[in-house]
Amino acid sequence: MSPDVTQRPEQEDVGSFEEVMLPHLDAAHNLARWLLRNEQDAQDVVQEAYLRAFKSFSGFHGGNGRAWLLTIVRNTSYTLLKKNRAVDLTTTFDEEIHVAGHESVSPAAILEHSEDAELIKEAMDELPPEFREILALRHQEGLSYKEIAEIAQIPPGTVMSRLARARAKLKEYLAARMSK
Amino acid sequence: MTCDEAIKLMDGYLDGELDPITSQTIEQHLRGCQKCDEAYKTHSALIRSIGKATPYYKAPSGLRERIQASLREEIAERSPRSVSRNIPSLFQSKPSERRAVPFGTQWSWLALAATIVLAAIIAFNLAPRLQRPGADQFLATQLIASHVRSLMANHLTDVASSDQHTVKPWLDAKLDFAPAVADLGSEGFPLIGGRLDYLDNRPVAALVYQRRKHFINLFVWPAESGSTGADKRITRQGYQLLHWVDSDFNYWAVSDVSDNDLQAFKQVFEKQLPRR
Repeated sequence: MSPDVTQRPEQEDVGSFEEVMLPHLDAAHNLARWLLRNEQDAQDVVQEAYLRAFKSFSGFHGGNGRAWLLTIVRNTSYTLLKKNRAVDLTTTFDEEIHVAGHESVSPAAILEHSEDAELIKEAMDELPPEFREILALRHQEGLSYKEIAEIAQIPPGTVMSRLARARAKLKEYLAARMSK
Repeated sequence: MTCDEAIKLMDGYLDGELDPITSQTIEQHLRGCQKCDEAYKTHSALIRSIGKATPYYKAPSGLRERIQASLREEIAERSPRSVSRNIPSLFQSKPSERRAVPFGTQWSWLALAATIVLAAIIAFNLAPRLQRPGADQFLATQLIASHVRSLMANHLTDVASSDQHTVKPWLDAKLDFAPAVADLGSEGFPLIGGRLDYLDNRPVAALVYQRRKHFINLFVWPAESGSTGADKRITRQGYQLLHWVDSDFNYWAVSDVSDNDLQAFKQVFEKQLPRR
């Protein structure tokens, strides 16, 4: 087999891979950025994820390109999160915020602050990664429960309850920040 | 339905993800239970407003180029003669470890050769049966790519005009056929302009229409004589494609508008078509 024969189809592969996958670059970056909470890590992970996606592109048989790519972005992000576990995951659950007495904050008061992007970003960043990802996928990408189940690799029946817990926790954190 | 059950299903209801019967049961409960109804209203207002205010991190400029460069590097390194791999990667350990297996490279080439032979055999056997849908799928990929490129690269139109009498002569002069051009602005689909494109191994006309903030690319080229056929609808990667044929032309409309909008577009377009 001469090198030429094997190289040409690969060049074409890149073209069709890029056509199918590059339109989802913003979605990929947004998910990685929320999961990693760090711009440089997010960019590195997205680049790595695209490379991994390209290597297994032959296993992609059409269908939902965005969900397929986001699954890889998510897995790549978790690989890095686990690697940095010592510094990362311990900070995600803050008992103090969790038990703080903020029950006095009314839903209406939370609603008033719910358009404060900075406040929401801070509260979101405090959630565990499973909650950050499900909120980003649902609220920012507008994905269906089925697509979310595929990307987060959880049973479809779990999506609703996890989303409900994530939203409740986010409300709680918002209230905690407001009562500070 | 009890209040506890209603609260438990509230997020699914809010997201429109429940089956119709359960949704109806919840609606009934909310109508009858003021406490739950209020809880639902607050919850949904809050969730929607949080959703809107959450910052969206678009990819920074330069990331696309970085990715494209790394893909090309990957291909270059797959060539048989180069053994070393130096992709700067977050997860890779030292490059030297990759070369620890002495025959790794040769084995992978044998495996690749075997895979290609196998793929060729499978393709040869399956191709005749799959040819029609396969051809459509391939064309669909080309159409979406062309649509995406037109929006991406600031090259939506070659001739920007909402006047059909400007767009049509411009296209006629550059093609070996004269597509019908109609402005559908009064019907909610204003004409934005026209463009030359290349699809299915031939130059084609692309008419660009707008639907609210969305664009519709309508690709037109001559139909083979005597070709008819039912409309085709394809949904891929969030794009809608609608194909129809009239006595003279092949039409492919591509957009991210809803299927209904695209159907409406087709009807309006056919109605406004000037008699030729």
